[in-house]
Amino acid sequence: MKSQRRTKMVAAVAGAASLALLATGCSATDGGDSDGPITLTVTTFGTMGLDGLYAAYEAENPNITIKATNIDTGGNALTDWKTKQAAGAGLADVQAVEEGWLGQVMQVSDTFVDLSEYGADDIKDRWVDWKLAQGTDADGRIIGYGTDIGPEGLCYNGALLEEAGMPSDRDAVAELFGGDSATWEDFFQVGKDYNAATGAAFYDHSGFVWNAMVNQLDEGYYTADGEIDIEGNADLKSQWDLLADGAASGLSAEQSAWDWGGGKAFTDGSFATFMCPGWMLGVVKGQVEAAGGDASTGWDFADVFPGGAANWGGAFLTVPTQSEHPEEAAKLAAYLTSAESEVAAFQAAGTFPSVIEAQTDDGVTGTSELSTFFNDAPIGTILGSRAEGVTSQFKGPNDSVIQEQVFGPATKELDSGVDGDTAWNNALEVLKNLDLN
Amino acid sequence: MTTMTSPPRPDEGEAKKRSERNATQLTRRQRLSRLDVKASPYLYIAPFFVLFALIGLFPLVYTFVVSLNDWDILSGAGEWIGFDNYVAELNDPYFWNSLFNTMSIFLLSAIPQLVAAVFIAALLDQNLRAKTFWRMSILIPYIVTPVAVAIIFSSAFGEKYGLINNILTSFNIEPVMWKSEVFASHFAIATMVNWRWTGYNALILLAAMQAVPRDIYESASLDGAGAVRRFFSMTLPSIRPTMIFVIITATIGGLQIFTEPKLFNPTSANLGGAHREYQTTVLYLWDMAFNRGDFGKASAIAWLLFIIIVGIGLLNFMISRKIASTEVKVISKRRAKKLARYRATTAANPTGVPAASVVDEEKSS
Repeated sequence: MKSQRRTKMVAAVAGAASLALLATGCSATDGGDSDGPITLTVTTFGTMGLDGLYAAYEAENPNITIKATNIDTGGNALTDWKTKQAAGAGLADVQAVEEGWLGQVMQVSDTFVDLSEYGADDIKDRWVDWKLAQGTDADGRIIGYGTDIGPEGLCYNGALLEEAGMPSDRDAVAELFGGDSATWEDFFQVGKDYNAATGAAFYDHSGFVWNAMVNQLDEGYYTADGEIDIEGNADLKSQWDLLADGAASGLSAEQSAWDWGGGKAFTDGSFATFMCPGWMLGVVKGQVEAAGGDASTGWDFADVFPGGAANWGGAFLTVPTQSEHPEEAAKLAAYLTSAESEVAAFQAAGTFPSVIEAQTDDGVTGTSELSTFFNDAPIGTILGSRAEGVTSQFKGPNDSVIQEQVFGPATKELDSGVDGDTAWNNALEVLKNLDLN
Repeated sequence: MTTMTSPPRPDEGEAKKRSERNATQLTRRQRLSRLDVKASPYLYIAPFFVLFALIGLFPLVYTFVVSLNDWDILSGAGEWIGFDNYVAELNDPYFWNSLFNTMSIFLLSAIPQLVAAVFIAALLDQNLRAKTFWRMSILIPYIVTPVAVAIIFSSAFGEKYGLINNILTSFNIEPVMWKSEVFASHFAIATMVNWRWTGYNALILLAAMQAVPRDIYESASLDGAGAVRRFFSMTLPSIRPTMIFVIITATIGGLQIFTEPKLFNPTSANLGGAHREYQTTVLYLWDMAFNRGDFGKASAIAWLLFIIIVGIGLLNFMISRKIASTEVKVISKRRAKKLARYRATTAANPTGVPAASVVDEEKSS
């Protein structure tokens, strides 16, 4: 009787221990050769529009099963990637990374598979050249296949511009802001005219405008050699002064980014223009709808951007060296970034293709739910035209930290009425305190 | 005991030999049961200690090792730099800022929370109709996940479109910048904490109050002590040990506050407010580890916070012991006085029957 009880207890302890082992994730991966069944994991974030493509790939490749995870925001995806990278385990076979954290990825680029070993050289002509350059590390290894890019155009509210006695027609608006030679000076001048006529703010908050301004420069927070240089970057300071003047003239609606009062700011006339990279169009539509509005709120999309071409965001698909099936993973990544796939992703999520062939595809240039919302604007065509002339800027490992922790507070200060020089000096002070490199 | 030996025989020498043999040549069964007696207790408590070593002690020690290195989250262990990370953190204005925020939010939440919890518990301790209903009701906020609480409150505390500022403006009061002013943001976060924890603490205090014998209250009220007097002179002193427990757990929880400030303004570019208005120490730690990627410094912050919490915990403990010992002192002084008086009266009245006046005095005191 007694010994029986003992065996039971030992069994219970052993059972608990094995459960604990399972819980800590010592899962055995199903190995096997390329002909056997293979499970590939994919991690994406936000709305990348790839979900519909997995089933199609599985149908074409019966031995492949895809397990996909989508993380809600890019920020959370970054944390997820960093922790798994630090742990040295747990990354997906196909891992999406965002342009904003590419600087950090490049720091550890040797933990990503060189896709040239799996046929990248045969397909590298499909992308716009700067996108390919971004996904190539310092040693010339191609570690990322481009998915979407974020060429920026100008979203504007035609109804509000009309109230201020300005044109609301797409081409006339582009002309109003200076057409092909649009400058930030033009933008702020139109803003001041608008403000004089209506007394209302012109753009939602200074942060996004600053973002666009910085991304456009040849050198942003880092020099091309990879050193942080903000104090010595005269271009940055002159743009800052423009922005500060705009905020002091009441052009900023002082909104909180990504909050916008649950979208109400887009429907109550708080501001009339908005910085719109391709993927932002879906965000605008979502915000307006969250606040109960629809296409009649007057939002439109113009083929013009102050200061010339600019890019904000975009993603890459990479294959970490942790992957047990790098060859199959690379194949899947190539499939997901083919012209057809990117057209499908654009239709699903409005992410503008980085593949040249896809950019002019009817599926991109044609009408969609999104183009209907933006007063039937030819969104795909406009974005294609906005993508011309974009160059890639060097992004250092701490680029996103500087943007968020140094200039996040500083642009907020501009909005709350602090003068430009004080806010700039505060930013430099924060930079000093953060002690980045 | 499972080891049974036969009773000693009259023959002394024989018995001795026998017992010696017993000690050296036990049967298998006997040896097993001896092992059972000696080793089993350790085996029974082992799971806790094994788990603690695995998920408590090891991370603690490992964090300390990491804190002595220049450790980047992506590139891993760097140089051994001794206590440089600690020095850097103690000189970092953002570290002190985070400590100030943590303490401020802690005080703004702990004090009103405990005061409210005591009074709610006192109310629930009365003879109410539908007792269980009231008691369950105050626990409801505790059941709601903190994330949901944070999302709802952060929406209500919105600066431009929030419910509270809408109400304020409708009364022609200036809207409060809940998310960009230091005190206002601390107040808002403390509100979330209070909403969640007051009911929980009230229930614990209620349990302590119910353990106070009712007949003491009865005799006190017979002697004319009012409700307020009974509360301050009887209820509060009786629940003191529970109070100390509640205060210590509130301190530990309060110093580790994370969810509420993290989600208070999830869209903010900077964790804990644009200018770190409500960046608590744990939030700062998180930022250091996962945004700025400096694991070494983050580990140093974790250890500094650990030391601070242990320090405050010890302080709490000492204060509570002091209160307890002064109480004992007061009581023993009072008792000694009475004893002396009693002896004086019995000495004056050698029959051994205490004077009636002393008995009266005892009753009324």
